[in-house]
Amino acid sequence: MSKPADLVQGTLDLLVLKILALEPLHGWALSQRLKQVSGDVLQVSDGSLYPALHKLELQGWIRAEWKPTENNRRAKFYSLTHLGKRHLEQEAASWERISAAISGVLRLTEV
Amino acid sequence: MRLENWLYTIPLRLRSLLLRPRQDAELDEELRDHIERQIQENQSRGMGEEEARLAALRTFGNFVAVREQTHQSWAWAPLEQTAQNLRYALRSTRRAPLLSVVAVLALALGIGLNTGVFSMLNAMFLRSPTLVDPATFVQLCPRYAGWFTGADQTSSFTTEDFDSIRSRSHTLSEVSAWRQYAGFLEPGNMYITTLLATCNYFHVLGIDRPLMGRFFASGECVGGARAQVAVLSASLWKNRFGSDPRIVGKTIHLNGLPVTVIGVVPSDAANYLLSGVFLPYTLEPQLNRAADWLASPDTPWLSLTGRLRPGFTRADAQAELTTIMSQQDRAYVQRKVSAFNRKTALVITNGSEIENPSIRDLAAGLMMLMLGPLALILLLACSNVATLFLSRTLARRGEIAIRLALGVSRSRLAAMLLMESLLTVCIGGALSMVLAYRLPLMILNIMAPGQANFVVLLSPDWRVFGYLAILMAAATVLSSLMPIRASWKLDLLTALKGREGSATVRSRTTSGLIVTQIALGFVLVCAAVIFGRMPGLIKGMNAGFEIHQMLAVPLDVNTSGNNRAKAQVFYRALETKILATPGVQSLAYASLQPFNQAPPEEIRLPRQTKGTGQPASVDDVSDGFFSSFGIRALKGRLFLSSDENSAGANSVAVVSQAFAKQFWPGRDPLGEKVVMPDDRHLTVVGVVADTRSERFGILDGPRLYALRSPSELGGNLYVRFLGSPKPLENAVREAVKSLDPMQTIAPQTIWESLEDQAEGMTAVAQIILVVAAIALLMAVTGVYCVLSFAVNQRTREFGIKMVLGASRAEIFRAVLSRALKNIALGLIGGIALAEPAMLLFNRLLARSPLPLHRFDLTVFGISAVLLATVSLAAMYLPASRAMRTDPIRALRTE
Repeated sequence: MSKPADLVQGTLDLLVLKILALEPLHGWALSQRLKQVSGDVLQVSDGSLYPALHKLELQGWIRAEWKPTENNRRAKFYSLTHLGKRHLEQEAASWERISAAISGVLRLTEV
Repeated sequence: MRLENWLYTIPLRLRSLLLRPRQDAELDEELRDHIERQIQENQSRGMGEEEARLAALRTFGNFVAVREQTHQSWAWAPLEQTAQNLRYALRSTRRAPLLSVVAVLALALGIGLNTGVFSMLNAMFLRSPTLVDPATFVQLCPRYAGWFTGADQTSSFTTEDFDSIRSRSHTLSEVSAWRQYAGFLEPGNMYITTLLATCNYFHVLGIDRPLMGRFFASGECVGGARAQVAVLSASLWKNRFGSDPRIVGKTIHLNGLPVTVIGVVPSDAANYLLSGVFLPYTLEPQLNRAADWLASPDTPWLSLTGRLRPGFTRADAQAELTTIMSQQDRAYVQRKVSAFNRKTALVITNGSEIENPSIRDLAAGLMMLMLGPLALILLLACSNVATLFLSRTLARRGEIAIRLALGVSRSRLAAMLLMESLLTVCIGGALSMVLAYRLPLMILNIMAPGQANFVVLLSPDWRVFGYLAILMAAATVLSSLMPIRASWKLDLLTALKGREGSATVRSRTTSGLIVTQIALGFVLVCAAVIFGRMPGLIKGMNAGFEIHQMLAVPLDVNTSGNNRAKAQVFYRALETKILATPGVQSLAYASLQPFNQAPPEEIRLPRQTKGTGQPASVDDVSDGFFSSFGIRALKGRLFLSSDENSAGANSVAVVSQAFAKQFWPGRDPLGEKVVMPDDRHLTVVGVVADTRSERFGILDGPRLYALRSPSELGGNLYVRFLGSPKPLENAVREAVKSLDPMQTIAPQTIWESLEDQAEGMTAVAQIILVVAAIALLMAVTGVYCVLSFAVNQRTREFGIKMVLGASRAEIFRAVLSRALKNIALGLIGGIALAEPAMLLFNRLLARSPLPLHRFDLTVFGISAVLLATVSLAAMYLPASRAMRTDPIRALRTE
């Protein structure tokens, strides 16, 4: 796998937080949404989402809750905490800054 | 992580700790839910049921791995892993009980020896000598510039220094002074250690309750009073006075001085003096008749200890006392009490030897010498354990390969192996405490029988436990390095295919182990050979002069000033009396004592200026010296009694062969002139044979005998006699006593004092022999284990070689020749290690008569032969097993 793809995968946490900021989701739905928004750029197997989710939970940025779903089943729903919201804002801001800086530099070399 | 986040996740962490199984079940449910939803999704897209399931599993990835990874991201995961590693280590320890027991015992022995000796050295050198409030205890160590020799020297305090510090210091609440001295004890007729001390000595040390009777009252240490009282140490009381319950009030004699016993001090607290007598320091002039130090204005003789006043630090005390001492220096110069102009620098220590500037280097050197060999033993133990673990790791190669294939990371595997070592080391370390506790007592019992039971200060403190922890950490790392390396480099494919035989340990590893073990063993065997030979060397040497029929008569006569006339009368009367004793042949005086090295003096040839001469020992002897000692003249003549009376009384000299060779190589020394340090010119009239009087069994360097003036007094008196020494010793003692009842002496033949020294050496040698025997045993078992392990590894190779036509003898030779090469390498490495150690040892013992060379071929030779023989014997078994390899069976196991 080439370097830029790794870079994008490193920001998996950020994407997860951003998606959960919109609405609480369970794991499968979250993985579907991830695929939807990122297309094929983000090459992760569905399973590798879970270590990341549990790590975020331990860091206090998201909270998990078992909730009933259709057909008498239940699923673990993840939602953003207020700490997570703040973290997301900071991370998003710094991401903007860095990507702006990088694309600025790239445009420079193109000229 | 920020605190806020951490606080926020406390409930989660608690749940994770307490409800682990439930959390696992929930994770399972969550992951399965995901897969089911994916299956449903796939089916709704029109896939068949089986197809949908497979596709879902494919997109999900490795289910087990995901579960494990998620599990590891939970709180407490590292702790959980450690517990797992521990369980695993326990299981594998139980599975190979014999191997584990051997490893534990080797480590217990290695660690126990080290810790035991360290706790002894700690009590001797490292800790403050008091148990009560050590933080306030101080010792004052002065260093003088421009005194006596002119060079800087560490020394003690004069009585005046002590008085002025005692009366003027505000930072010290109490100051005590003391001085060790040899006292001749009657009843018992033996020398014992005597401590001249101030009356608050015990209080400053923190000892307030006597075992019996009382301590000194403050009035007993005032200059004029001179109360003749003594406090006995408990061990002396027990060993010399049979624990007499009515000892208090009895009178004993020390150097002829009658003193009344007023109490017994428990020895456990008197670290400075294990066995002896305590006297008020004001008794010094009566005890030491040769000089009155107490009243002397410029004799430094007292060591000072004290207690800090609350609120003051050692730095405060140092500043204040330095000021007081520099005022003392000025007063000293103004009064012109002596020709020297001293400048004092002061160091305040906690009273331990290692902080005392004058002993520090010696103490550190001694500690290195004692701990160094023991560290080698621990290294040997570690390499043995490493071999055992390595063979165990390789035997489990299949299991490890499967673990790796299932996704255990190599670092996790290393952690598991490290835990196995740690477990073994911990069990060994716990066992070693028994040894560490018993060992110092055992050693002291051998070195100084009768005193060991009184050493309670040996109780371990933080330094001992720190040392133990360091040793254990080092042992863990050292013993696990090699197994970890082996499993790290494990080739998964070959190991999983079960082709066990083809994956062998590199021969460099096994060779390295053998070489290390032999090198380490060699150093210790060398030490054992040196010390094992010592008593025999001392007793068996040819000194070159008479030692059996020669009695040394130690006298303590004040020959200075007013006492000169009296001393002269004493000596003449004594000489007459001794010569009249039956059995006595002759007597002689000499200024040098045999086996007691004196610094050499500078001897010049007539045209040489001061500072360009060469060093030589100078012995001022009486005219009967050579005939009494039985030293032959090789050339010229010996001293004649007419030399004494002739006008040029001081103008003749007799030199030793070595002297003649060094000063006039290849020329006849007779008639040549030499210049003494005091500018006397002497003419050489004779050459005598070299003697071995400085170091045991070693020829002396250049030596010049000058004729002692007949009017001179003092010196060492020797009596040559016929027959058995005992009655003569008594006769001489009685003769001395009848002339001066205060003279208390124990005359001994030179041979008897040599025997005493040899006996002392035997005790040391015994300890070293035991240590070396342990080392040798470890080295040999180590070599045996490594080689039989290597042979086992190569069984298949041997089988193939045999099938291809190699004879059994060739296989045997191949194994043995490589082993021999390793032995040779190990011995070379051993010499490289032993040589600097001997250099250090030599430097420490430079002033002692023990014969030590830097590169002692005999010692190295004996050790090398011994070690080579023993390790060859250890190698024979594995090598012959290699020879008996059955090629059919070796190859069928494939």
